[in-house]
Amino acid sequence: MSMSQEEIEALMSGADDMGFDETEDSVDDIVNEEDISSPESENEVDVNDILAGIDGITTEAEDSKKEVDVNGILAGINDNVSSPNEDQITNVDDMHNKINSSQYPMPVSKENKVVNQLNEVADDSEAKASQIFDILSFILDENSEILQYNKNIVEFLEKESELLTSLSIKFPNIAVFNENLSHAKTLIKNSDDILSKIEAENNKVFEAMEIMQYHDINRQKIERVMSVIKKLSTYLNSIFEDDSGKAEVQIAKHISGDSSDIVNANDIESLISEYSK
Amino acid sequence: MRILIVDDSSTMRRIIGNVVQQLGVSKDDFDEAEDGVVAWKLFQEKNNYDVVLTDWNMPNMNGLELVKTIRGADKKIPIVMITTEGGKGEVITALKAGVNNYIVKPFSAEILKEKLDGLVKA
Repeated sequence: MSMSQEEIEALMSGADDMGFDETEDSVDDIVNEEDISSPESENEVDVNDILAGIDGITTEAEDSKKEVDVNGILAGINDNVSSPNEDQITNVDDMHNKINSSQYPMPVSKENKVVNQLNEVADDSEAKASQIFDILSFILDENSEILQYNKNIVEFLEKESELLTSLSIKFPNIAVFNENLSHAKTLIKNSDDILSKIEAENNKVFEAMEIMQYHDINRQKIERVMSVIKKLSTYLNSIFEDDSGKAEVQIAKHISGDSSDIVNANDIESLISEYSK
Repeated sequence: MRILIVDDSSTMRRIIGNVVQQLGVSKDDFDEAEDGVVAWKLFQEKNNYDVVLTDWNMPNMNGLELVKTIRGADKKIPIVMITTEGGKGEVITALKAGVNNYIVKPFSAEILKEKLDGLVKA
């Protein structure tokens, strides 16, 4: 169970007093609480409800349709499970050869090695995440420059506005001063809008950067899977290892009791007489 | 304030670097290390950091070993562990090794700001 930031804070404040025994007790408490909260009886009721619903839905027409479908499926299965012919036997031999030469089900190439692939995914994803970060940093840098330009523009417009105010007071009959003053005030307001939009955009970029932490978290999850696969591989190699030193025996292809066609005494006799002619 | 950021993920180092820049720390005032070995080398060479922010799981020398190594030389420097390890046992282990604060990934910029502010004021 992962700890929340609040729990860590609580732990920080009480870390000095806390002993390991107390920790174990509280873990047990948490486990007990979790046991109590599992609603098994509710689940049973739900399952019964669902089953009752399913029984009610079934109709005769559907039953007959199901029979037809099942017969169709069985016919298909029977077609596929016909007795092995020579081609199939050859295929089995091929498959054994492929398994022995590490070619089945996929050749053991760099591309198909699981841990290699996971490693590559983690590395590629790290490289791409870095590129995404470059782009986000570029946006922040550009926004910072735009904010500076905007600040310069606002400073100029405010001075212009002051000048036009004085001029419009001194020369009230000249309309152009008033018009330009009004225009300057509109542009100052537009600059304020630009400022707030860029700040909102920057916040979104910071949010995106925070979310990119999941790249690191996911990489660590992949590394955990890689570690499990490596340990499993070592274990399986150890447990299946043949340390008897015996050479590999040739295995029988058809043994009495196999489901495939096995010749009986009569078949053998007839084959002998056929080939003796 | 001079900060040493230690994480094997370059993306995480940049994220943390970005947050400390938002706090007003200049790019020249923080260094980055990709593992404990590089971090310990920088720590000894520069010998002027005010805070160390370190990940836990890293190759060569992990964050916990780094904390213990630093604590062997410097008892006072604030160290914050920033890691995906969110288990209670891990937090206790890190505290016992000598970290001053602990942040579980993913974290918000606000959390890191608060913790750094707290450490600087302390």
